[in-house]
Amino acid sequence: MLSGRGITKRFGAVTVLSGVDVSVAPGETLAVTGPSGSGKSTLLHCLAGILRPDEGEVRLGAERVDSLSEARRTTLRRARFGFVFQFGQLLPELPAVENVALPLMLAGVGRREAVAKAAAWFPTLGLDGLQDRRPGQLSGGQEQRVAIARALVAGPAVVFADEPTGALDSTTGAQVMDLLCGLAVRTGTALVVVTHDPEVAARCHRTLALHDGRPVPAESLVSGDARQSDDRRAQGAW
Amino acid sequence: MIGLSLRLLRLGGRRAWAAAGLVGAGVAVATALLMTALGALHGLDQRELRTGWRTPVAAQGDPVAQLRVRTDHAAGLPIVQVDLAALDAAAAPPPGLPRLPAPGEVWVSPALADLLHALPADALAERYPGPVTGEVGDAGLQRPDELVAVLGRAPDDPAFTAPGDSDVLPVAAFDRVEASSDALLYRSLTIVAVALVVFPVAGLLGASARLTATRRADRLATLRLLGASTRQVTTVAVAETTAVATAAAAVGVVLEWACAPLLARIPLAGGGWFTADLRPSWMVAVPVVLGVGALATLSAIGGLRRVVVSPLGVVRRQVPQRVRWIRLLGVAAALVVFGIVNAALRTVDVSAVGLVLAAGVLALFGACVLIGPLVVRVAGAWLVRRDGAASVIAGRRLLDDPRAAFRPVAGLTLAVFVAGFLAPLTAAVSGLSTEDTTTLHLRPAVVAPDLRDRAEQELGAAGIAAFLPPGTADEVLVRPGDPAVLDRARTLLGALVPGTLVQTEADRAADQAVLVGDMRRGAFVVLIGTFLVAATATGTAAAARVLDHRHTLRLLRLAGTPVQVLESARARETAAPLLVNGAIALGLGLFCASPFVAVSAVAAPSGLVLLGVVLLAGTATVAAATAASRPLLRAVTAADGSRG
Repeated sequence: MLSGRGITKRFGAVTVLSGVDVSVAPGETLAVTGPSGSGKSTLLHCLAGILRPDEGEVRLGAERVDSLSEARRTTLRRARFGFVFQFGQLLPELPAVENVALPLMLAGVGRREAVAKAAAWFPTLGLDGLQDRRPGQLSGGQEQRVAIARALVAGPAVVFADEPTGALDSTTGAQVMDLLCGLAVRTGTALVVVTHDPEVAARCHRTLALHDGRPVPAESLVSGDARQSDDRRAQGAW
Repeated sequence: MIGLSLRLLRLGGRRAWAAAGLVGAGVAVATALLMTALGALHGLDQRELRTGWRTPVAAQGDPVAQLRVRTDHAAGLPIVQVDLAALDAAAAPPPGLPRLPAPGEVWVSPALADLLHALPADALAERYPGPVTGEVGDAGLQRPDELVAVLGRAPDDPAFTAPGDSDVLPVAAFDRVEASSDALLYRSLTIVAVALVVFPVAGLLGASARLTATRRADRLATLRLLGASTRQVTTVAVAETTAVATAAAAVGVVLEWACAPLLARIPLAGGGWFTADLRPSWMVAVPVVLGVGALATLSAIGGLRRVVVSPLGVVRRQVPQRVRWIRLLGVAAALVVFGIVNAALRTVDVSAVGLVLAAGVLALFGACVLIGPLVVRVAGAWLVRRDGAASVIAGRRLLDDPRAAFRPVAGLTLAVFVAGFLAPLTAAVSGLSTEDTTTLHLRPAVVAPDLRDRAEQELGAAGIAAFLPPGTADEVLVRPGDPAVLDRARTLLGALVPGTLVQTEADRAADQAVLVGDMRRGAFVVLIGTFLVAATATGTAAAARVLDHRHTLRLLRLAGTPVQVLESARARETAAPLLVNGAIALGLGLFCASPFVAVSAVAAPSGLVLLGVVLLAGTATVAAATAASRPLLRAVTAADGSRG
């Protein structure tokens, strides 16, 4: 269980997050939505140990994340978290399979074994036969699937996705989100997705809506045609 | 479009200016080094313009004067002694003199005037026919500290008419500016030095220009996608590079001008320089600035070819850049050229030796540059097969574009080549034995049987204790008991036989000793220069590579990749190709020196020490230059959550 309590973050005189509570359980998917500048990515960075909140705390299970040293948080991110960004996260020189194998190699797994484990993810992601392609030879959707494989390959507790479909068309975006949510549920991984797209948020179990760094009811941000179904909608208690 | 380009630079913020500054610094240093080398050539020419008349040729028509130029010594320093008998007092005088000196007149350079004041009269002044009556102006001096005495003689002065003296020549004018054989040798060596410096400098220029261009490739590709024509994209890209490079080249010229007073202290051919001599004229500086601008432009266009041909190609980097084995044919061709040069060296005129040798050096330089990317490719393939994320990342980056990956290490590779070339040469010349500095040799033009007795008598009368070892029939040897009285003995003995200089073996070999010293000094200057260039190139390239990949590097670090892994990948990316390329370059450098000295000379302690010191210092400099971009790597990959 990843949880944040009373998270407040300021950049200079500007308060970007103000007392946000959040939690996500294994196998659960959470969307963080809001307009630009609402503090979505800052919240993700605080939860992932990239930034330290000025107030409040972040815990992964019983372990306090925000009070760890920079080196410990780096290790934690590598070992327990996975990341999917909007674009540009793959090393352009490495073939797809080595990009996926990178977290394993960083953890000390030998190259041959890491590549074999990474390659096993490719059929699941519909990428069979593309192992040796470079990122530049893949479509945007394929590139994001490789990024998803990389985020999951080391068996993380939580995957953070920052606008994972931001650079994709709606059909491809939907496919990528289905894959991401489906794999998270299947592997028991918690998933935190930052997005400004209601369609994307609608594919998650719950939604946390932010405005000016504070939680607000999700309905206040969603236009009519992109409303979420009631069973998936956020229900207040964060 | 040029306006747009400069506007992008102006509005690009601190990072755009930092990158432009990085490139500008590289180009400025490179241009300053090139100008220093050209300044040395200019200085040698200027020296020759002022002193060419001191290497006289016998007049064909009516002579205006009789002339003899020799080198005397005092206080361990060489003094150019010009004996001049005017036959036509109205004739145009040599440079630096207001008129031809009358018999008995003594004109000395300012430095010699100081020395005359510093030494007792019997140690130097009494060798001249009278007191000092005038000054030889700068226009007649090779360098500010040159010791020159112009002694006015009558045509029938005994010092001039001693039978058998073939040094006195009738001259028709003092306008000779052709280089003496010594000057030609120095010119040749300087041309070789220029050749040794020019390749690394051109490499640095090219790398710098290319890097600014690629830094902006993604933005330019966006322009291309928006429908800008090939020409428009090229103009936008190249205008900034050209502007920065040209401005930096101008700064480089000014830098060399500003450093000229310091450079003037580096002795060559016996002493320092007039500052103005080391500043090439605007006729040279302007083409250099324009040439550097043009080279930068061409390199930038080369770097942009992929954007221009296919904008998506750069944005999405579809195709790894291949390096073909056909390069080995080029290496073979370079070796053939060197073989031809080697054969030609034995037959060409002395004045062309420098150029021919420079061609040989450039051919082998070319071989280093051709083989470099192939080595990078092999090193990349080896690294990729190893365990560890850092090795795999480094190996893949090397394989991705071996030519680009070679650029950061090209400078050091060429510097190692230079070290390999110069080490055996300096070892060989420093192996020359030092001559005897204590025994004076008195050699009259005509055998004088009583000379030894007279010398002993005169020395005794003057209270100079001396031992006279047995000499030969035409030579008297005198070894003063105290080296401090050497100059007094020299003055005294010279008076015994008018027109004769009294010298030690070391004095006679002084020119050669100066040449040996110059070659060693020159080798060090060239080595320091090439390593400076190499360090600048490596530092620039390393920093630019970080800037190029900052987005991906930052995301990797956010995802938990330790910055040490990224740094380690960078280090491997440099070290692996450098070690192999360095070894090859060292071999080629030794090979290049082989026509002149036995390569075994490098095994001499001085050669090994030089090589070791140079390689260690150079590697440390380059390592420091690479490490200098470590804070940049940490800064661009630092977590910041300001978005969203």
